[in-house]
Amino acid sequence: MANEEERQLLVVIFDVNPVWWGIKSLQGQAQITKCLDCLLVFVNSYLMLRHDNKLAIIASHSTKSVFLYPAQESNQSPDPSKASTSDQAGGDCRYEHFAKVDDSVTDKFKELMRDGCEKNDIRRDSLIAGSMAIALCYIHRMQIESHGNTKLNARILVIKAADDAASQYMSFMNVIFAAQKERVVVDACILGQDSGLLQQACDMTSGMYLKVPHQDAFLQYLLTAFLTEAELRKESLVLAQSSRPREVDYRAACFCHRSLVDIGFVCSVCLSIFCQFSPICSTCETAFKPPVQASKSRKKRRALPANGT
Amino acid sequence: MEEQGEDKAYRWEGDYEKTWEALKEDETGSLQASIEAEINKAKKRRLQQRQRNVRLGMMRHLYVVVDLSQAMCDQDLKPNRAVAVLKALEIFSEKFFDQNPISQLGFVSTCAKRAEVLSDMSGSLQKHIKVLQDLGQKIIKTNAKHCTGEPSLQNSLELCAKSLKHMPSHTSKEILVVMGSLTTCDPGSIHDTITQIAKQSIRCSVIGLSAEVHICKYLAKSTKGTFGIILDESHFADLLTDHVPPPAEISPESSLIKMGFPHHVSPHESGKISLCMSRNTFTVGGYFCPQCQAKYSELPVQCVICALTLVSAPHLARSYHHFFPLPMFKEQEVPVGSLTCYSCCKPITTVTYVCEQCAISFCMDCNAFIHETLHSCPGCIISTNHVHTTTNGVV
Repeated sequence: MANEEERQLLVVIFDVNPVWWGIKSLQGQAQITKCLDCLLVFVNSYLMLRHDNKLAIIASHSTKSVFLYPAQESNQSPDPSKASTSDQAGGDCRYEHFAKVDDSVTDKFKELMRDGCEKNDIRRDSLIAGSMAIALCYIHRMQIESHGNTKLNARILVIKAADDAASQYMSFMNVIFAAQKERVVVDACILGQDSGLLQQACDMTSGMYLKVPHQDAFLQYLLTAFLTEAELRKESLVLAQSSRPREVDYRAACFCHRSLVDIGFVCSVCLSIFCQFSPICSTCETAFKPPVQASKSRKKRRALPANGT
Repeated sequence: MEEQGEDKAYRWEGDYEKTWEALKEDETGSLQASIEAEINKAKKRRLQQRQRNVRLGMMRHLYVVVDLSQAMCDQDLKPNRAVAVLKALEIFSEKFFDQNPISQLGFVSTCAKRAEVLSDMSGSLQKHIKVLQDLGQKIIKTNAKHCTGEPSLQNSLELCAKSLKHMPSHTSKEILVVMGSLTTCDPGSIHDTITQIAKQSIRCSVIGLSAEVHICKYLAKSTKGTFGIILDESHFADLLTDHVPPPAEISPESSLIKMGFPHHVSPHESGKISLCMSRNTFTVGGYFCPQCQAKYSELPVQCVICALTLVSAPHLARSYHHFFPLPMFKEQEVPVGSLTCYSCCKPITTVTYVCEQCAISFCMDCNAFIHETLHSCPGCIISTNHVHTTTNGVV
């Protein structure tokens, strides 16, 4: 049973990389509108669990991250006629909170797709580190605002489609460490290829990593795996077992060949990793003395024959 | 404070400081806004003091010398000085291992003219916290009965120096002394000890709880450490936190350290039992040293069999943000209600902070969060132009 004084905050990051979704819909494998509908059903179910569950949805595009819900108060005031018709309670028999969420998400999503992005900004990989940073700032703001009698349990659910961007490693690690410090659980629902970065994130924040095998059952996976809050997952046999399905490879890649190393040499000044000894560090250009062990073993080898004979 | 000490000897000889004029009331009569402004100014000052483009000592061996003498039974810190210091040191150890995951910490106590090791130099946070908590409980229960006598600065410094002599030369060796008493009882000449320590390039810093003692200031100055006297408990926490980030490196030694990156075997994968060297019991699953296959339950650790340092890649990545510190954002005044913060959608009321590289505005809370916890600007991460330039050095 959740403590009376605790509240939940769920931030969903939805990857809307146009290249990946475009290719998939041409191949007939996945449609972004269908996935968005599944997401709305999932989000409505989450809001139905408790009246004070908080929610935020962020869409991660190639060059921008936009809050789909809660709608930002923009500088230009929206058409008053449009706003009043959708806000009318009892206008279309929907629960008002759901209506607000659904309308906000669909309106903002249409706006985002209409605006698009510049031609030279189109990328095949997704930049979710920025969206996660924004999500953490939002969670931090919510924690400050609810400070006092209620404790806020925050979760980030990342729905990722396209591949990882290798250039985002540094920012991504900073975001993961910040999430660890703020005790935010990061869950991942992967529609495309496996993502090493998100595997590490889920492992370090004790979240759940799930690669969706069948796109058609996307809603079912969302409802089964990601609806329960993080603390209650250990009570369920299925969820507790699947929290760590595979071993995350935490080995480091050496800077010279980009190959994973078991034993490496680390520069004491800049912490770059090398697979073999080199007299100069390529990152910070410090000169190193040759290792001491080599001369010691030579001495031992010279000493042994004298003692043996 | 140091410049003032050289110009005028005593505080009353200086000019009048009208400190009450710094606080201003707003129209509702509340001081909240001006208090927040003061706190932010202090934070900014602290962040700006950190030098850039200076080599930092990443692998640190720090000994904390805790004074447990008669003077620590004083109750100006609640419940008494000794317990308050031990509690503050617990929080300090957590922050220390958070910011310096590959460093090691040790604790030494001094009382009754002797010095003894409380907790050996190690990288395990749990062990240190347990020792500090047990000692705190013992002091509360016995009402500080065995906090007697006088501390011995020379004995504690020699004990630490003896242990630090064996550490490899590329690590940054430090001693932090928390001194509550105004006296020290030493067997020999402390100046000899101080010169010896300075020669070994060990950096000593002192935090005093009562008043400035000349020998402590001299010790800190000759070893290029810092010296501070606390005003109250929160100032004590601030002074301790100043020692958490890595200091500027004073010794020019640098070398390639051989490190192992063990792989993890989960208990679910293989049900085989093996001896865990860190807990000395039989357990299932753990980290296996790549050189000698000894098992450990947590990282980072030094393998006791083959002396290889075992770390995982995130531990090293945790220290990378020290090399690329995020520059301060520019402060700008805006009229109320015209802007919303980019990252948290809050309407900005008083000042906004603009990142100079991506020209995106943030509110005050997000600015503090970004600089203290996140260490990356969300605007810069998202705008594709800067994805390549910030990660240039490392990736």
